[in-house]
Amino acid sequence: MRREDRIVTKLREKLKEKIITINVPRERRIFIHIKPDALRESIKFLRDIGFRHISTITGVDTGDSIELIYHLALDGSIELSLKLKVQKDDHKVPTITDIIPGVVLYEREVHEMFGVNFEGHPDLSPLILPEGWPRNIYPLRKKYTLEHLRNSIFKEEDEK
Amino acid sequence: MSYGSIVKVPFGPQHPALKEPEHFLFEIDGEIIVNVKPRIGYNHRGIEKAFERRTYIQNIYLAERICGICSDAHTTCYTQAIEDLLGLDAPPRARYIRVIVAELERIHSHSLWLGIAVHEIGFDTFFMYLWRDREAVMDILELISGNRVHYAMNTIGGVRRDITPEIIPKIIRSLDFLEKRTKYYMKALRSERTVLKRTVDVGVLKPKDAVELCAVGPTLRASGVKNDVRGDDPYAAYDEIPFNIVTDDGCDVFSRMLVRCGEILESINMIRYALDHMPSGMLRVRMPMAVKPGEAVSRVEAPRGELIHYVKSNGSTRPERYKVRSPTLANIPALCRMFIGQHVADIPIILAGIDPCFACMDRLVFIDVKTNKRKSLDFESFSEMVRKQRNFRLA
Repeated sequence: MRREDRIVTKLREKLKEKIITINVPRERRIFIHIKPDALRESIKFLRDIGFRHISTITGVDTGDSIELIYHLALDGSIELSLKLKVQKDDHKVPTITDIIPGVVLYEREVHEMFGVNFEGHPDLSPLILPEGWPRNIYPLRKKYTLEHLRNSIFKEEDEK
Repeated sequence: MSYGSIVKVPFGPQHPALKEPEHFLFEIDGEIIVNVKPRIGYNHRGIEKAFERRTYIQNIYLAERICGICSDAHTTCYTQAIEDLLGLDAPPRARYIRVIVAELERIHSHSLWLGIAVHEIGFDTFFMYLWRDREAVMDILELISGNRVHYAMNTIGGVRRDITPEIIPKIIRSLDFLEKRTKYYMKALRSERTVLKRTVDVGVLKPKDAVELCAVGPTLRASGVKNDVRGDDPYAAYDEIPFNIVTDDGCDVFSRMLVRCGEILESINMIRYALDHMPSGMLRVRMPMAVKPGEAVSRVEAPRGELIHYVKSNGSTRPERYKVRSPTLANIPALCRMFIGQHVADIPIILAGIDPCFACMDRLVFIDVKTNKRKSLDFESFSEMVRKQRNFRLA
């Protein structure tokens, strides 16, 4: 049995119906889609079986919701992508900074780029976007095209 | 000893001589750093958004321009991600060429870093020797690709240029030279008092913290953790080329120097092996214009550590989402931990210690919280002040 399959079996046993899909597209890659309320439980479990390194969090705008993908690595080797969908607004996403402290900047990045609020995060102040960037404009959301950003933000600055 | 008042020292963001500007707000008590807050993004160019607007072919050139030092690492990572989506495999010869260029890039990046590190501790003679010798590897890269910085070697499905038999002896000659010089530098580093005084036990990152804060690359390996994407998650031809993962248990800036020197020597051997065992055959396979819907995660060991790209395709000629996480960002939380309890004078070398894609310590403003008096210093006069205070004899 491959290492990947053993991890998949363990995850299925632990998370059961909270898993929506799980697949192993190739060696050393696992993609798992879970229900949003199972985030902290899954991360804790994954950390305890060795996924102590978080590579990053990717946000994806899928139209009506935001998809968060936590990329975790087992001993630097197997890269597992843990996926969950959250509502664009009015969502509750708990922070995982207390489980894996190294995630602190990735959560801030996703917060700025997609407007996801991580509950319990110690500091969600601006990290990347310029000072004076308008609130509630999250540049990596599909709604904000380059033209939109150019017209709404930079035009105002030019006029000043 | 505490002085009872915390002084905030903003550090950065602009420095015209170096690449990525970055801002740090240090809270210091006397000479000792008690807290630090990073503020990044001064070089944020919206590349992830730009990826969504360009075709897969155009994006190769965009990926190349994410970084000016590890440009090859980014294109390798990008092309691998797209190859993964398409189910393509680069031909064996192309995979060997990718390794050779990646390792040459590692040698050039590490020597560049080592030069900057010794410059930060005021050892400019060493810096100039290192950068002179670095030209040897830059010449090889130019010989292979025609370019010194953006090699443009990778393309989806393989590489764009061959390494011909005529240039191999030249490469070997330069590698011999580099090996001799690197061994000499390692000896010099180990015995030079200025280097030892400024780097041993400075910027300590304990192995437990390194793992917890998800540090990557030589920063992690200098804390004794044996993690390297090349060995753990092999790509290109790394599963066929023997090499050692260099680690050191010192956990300080000095260890980071030794790890990078060790990696230069390993890279030289890897290139020799790859040149000897390079299979013959095609350089690339053709790719279709559109990419079927799917997603892929690609990882590469860039000179600074684990680089990860994520791509999501929607069946068109452009990606739906492209995510890049470069190793410097991963090392920032660890960097902030290293600063705590250290002297203000050691800020530049600790900052340089993670080999950041920035070293933007041009303008400093000291604000005395009690009197609210401001005092501005440029980088040179700050360095001067620091050197006087620590009473170091400069080489």
